[in-house]
Amino acid sequence: MHKIFLICKREYLSRVKKRSFLLMTLLSPLLIALFYGMIFYFSINKNITEEKKTILVCDESGRFENKLENSKLVHFQYKQLKPAAFEKTLNESGIEGILWVRDSASNLSYELIAKEQVGIGLTNTIENKLEKIIKNEALAAKGINETTLDEINNLSVNINTQIKTKIGFEKSNSDASSILGFLGAFLIYFFIFLYGVQIMKGVIEEKTNRIVEVIISSVKPFQLMMGKIIGIALVGITQFAIWIILIMVFSGSVTSIIQNQMQLNSAALQGIEGAGQGAQNMNLDILQGFSQFNIPLLLLYFLFYFIGGYLFYGALFAAIGSAVDSETDTQQFMMPITLPLIFSIVFAQHIINDPNSSLSIWLSMIPFSSPIIMMVRLPFGIPPEQIALSMICLVIGFMSTVWFAGKIYRIGILTYGKKPSYKEIFKWLFRKN
Amino acid sequence: MILEIENLTKTYQNHVALRNINLNIKKGGIFGLLGPNGAGKTSLIRILTNITEADSGTILFNGVPINQNHIYQMGYLPEERGLYKKMTVKDQLLYFAELKGLQNKEAKIRLKYWVDKFEIKDWLGKKVEELSKGMQQKVQFIATVLHQPSLIILDEPFSGFDPINAQLLVDEILQLKANGATIIFSTHRMDSVELLCDQIALINKSEKILDGSVNEIQQQFKQHKFALKYHGQVLLNDHLFKISKETESNGIHTCLLELNNAMTNNQILQALLQKNISILSFGEQLPSMEEIFIQAVNQKSNSNLHA
Repeated sequence: MHKIFLICKREYLSRVKKRSFLLMTLLSPLLIALFYGMIFYFSINKNITEEKKTILVCDESGRFENKLENSKLVHFQYKQLKPAAFEKTLNESGIEGILWVRDSASNLSYELIAKEQVGIGLTNTIENKLEKIIKNEALAAKGINETTLDEINNLSVNINTQIKTKIGFEKSNSDASSILGFLGAFLIYFFIFLYGVQIMKGVIEEKTNRIVEVIISSVKPFQLMMGKIIGIALVGITQFAIWIILIMVFSGSVTSIIQNQMQLNSAALQGIEGAGQGAQNMNLDILQGFSQFNIPLLLLYFLFYFIGGYLFYGALFAAIGSAVDSETDTQQFMMPITLPLIFSIVFAQHIINDPNSSLSIWLSMIPFSSPIIMMVRLPFGIPPEQIALSMICLVIGFMSTVWFAGKIYRIGILTYGKKPSYKEIFKWLFRKN
Repeated sequence: MILEIENLTKTYQNHVALRNINLNIKKGGIFGLLGPNGAGKTSLIRILTNITEADSGTILFNGVPINQNHIYQMGYLPEERGLYKKMTVKDQLLYFAELKGLQNKEAKIRLKYWVDKFEIKDWLGKKVEELSKGMQQKVQFIATVLHQPSLIILDEPFSGFDPINAQLLVDEILQLKANGATIIFSTHRMDSVELLCDQIALINKSEKILDGSVNEIQQQFKQHKFALKYHGQVLLNDHLFKISKETESNGIHTCLLELNNAMTNNQILQALLQKNISILSFGEQLPSMEEIFIQAVNQKSNSNLHA
């Protein structure tokens, strides 16, 4: 045990002491926040990415004259032109294109004559605006006036789910559950990959530097492998702990800023057109939805599945590292390990739609997929016996992969030269020391 | 005896690495494990250092069957050297010492001794990748002996050393021997061990073909040849000895005497004094390890043929 501790300590300190560790731990959440912040910002302020465009409307029918709504991005001007003059007008004025509404025997057809290829966004916008006018005209013809129409448009439905729990029925929020579930699943997915690959690289480093021979003369290969796996896990947990502390420190202020912003926005929207209230309510609902979760318990589950999944896959990564001489040789062996991980994250999207289907239940029992799938399902609430069974399966799972990896590792680290085949590796399992 | 090896056999999938090896290694002194590449030296060392297990046979360490705890009393410098490139010299040496069972405090005290000795104080905080090759080898050597092992196993210790560092290493090895440690010294370069080793074993094709003290073996294999330098009348073959490799420059003759019959050195000198020559130097020509090895291998294969 003392040996494992020593190895573990070295693996941990040699990584945590590196300046890049602190830098990445502090920077990566900032980078992620910045990344999403930018997407959010640009999606709200579209006018930054797109220039304002002017469209000249040449309307033969006269039905759209001065009726098309100007927006931040599209501005409409109206003028009657002969088709022969289109080219000259396009060339001489600064307009983006000419919308030619042709009217032949009350059948309208629309053509956009433009200088260059226009974006799909622009055509969609124009189509929607034209459609709205035609539909409103048609509705008006049936006797529905604009006020009634606005009332109808502002109707919205928002389902409040109540699920059965120990203390009766409780309000649940499947949007919040989905977000939380995906977050946990992605974190585990990334952690397994990130730190699994670190284990593999560490093993390859020791093997190619031939340090392994000195160490193996003092400790058992299994101790070396476990020390490395646990040491690197602690690095991951440290990183995660720092993030949680950072989130706790900043989240209070950030949440209140977001809530303020949303209330301001919805107030402003209400003031202007009284629309969009439904959407804003939904966002607030999600925020409130998070408060219904037992976050500490979910964190504990997360920690369990993170460690379990990491041990399960980490041992396999260690085995790969021991079997090859250089990183370039790892590709072939990485495939069977990364495939189930990728499958799980792909399946996660189906699981969200039906968290209690039999596929979901099976996938949360199989240790290859359970860490990710369970993260997705847990926020929706799962019967405790299923959680227990899944946990037991994972524990059995990682104990077997650790055993399996240990067998390969002890032979692999002292075998140099030709890249072994699957058959040879299989033989290693049963070889004596 | 620090090590008593009996009937040791080790097979890999389809080749025999060691076949029925019997070896006794005395406490104190330097033991040379000689043999060409691929003879089985490293396989034997890996078994001694607990890296692999033998298929059959026994090993006693100080009279006790060898076990996991004995590795604390061993220092092993493998042929392929390796250190953690990104770790500082100090962290690295302390880590290896602790793996060998030393307490951190104790390790620091011992480290100071070696740091002073090799004058590497300024290098302690440096990462290994910043060190020159020679410096790395010193660090590796310190890592091998820091925990004061009673048995030190050096696999091809001189490979890659420049002459200055090699001499330094020789001095350290002799110092360790003087302090009472036993040193096993494995190499395929047989010329390097004649002066250093007290005892040797020759291994070829997974079998031990010869072992004993260097003196005894040389006596056993000596061919009664003597180097002689003289001037005066040229010596000719007679009933006592054959003359060969005769050269002459500035009236000084150098030649090799081969005895026809066994004689003591005094008797040879007496016989020579009766000749009309003045002797400049006279010495017995002992066979080199390499010659002994070749001879022993031939004898072995001949006896195998006859058997």
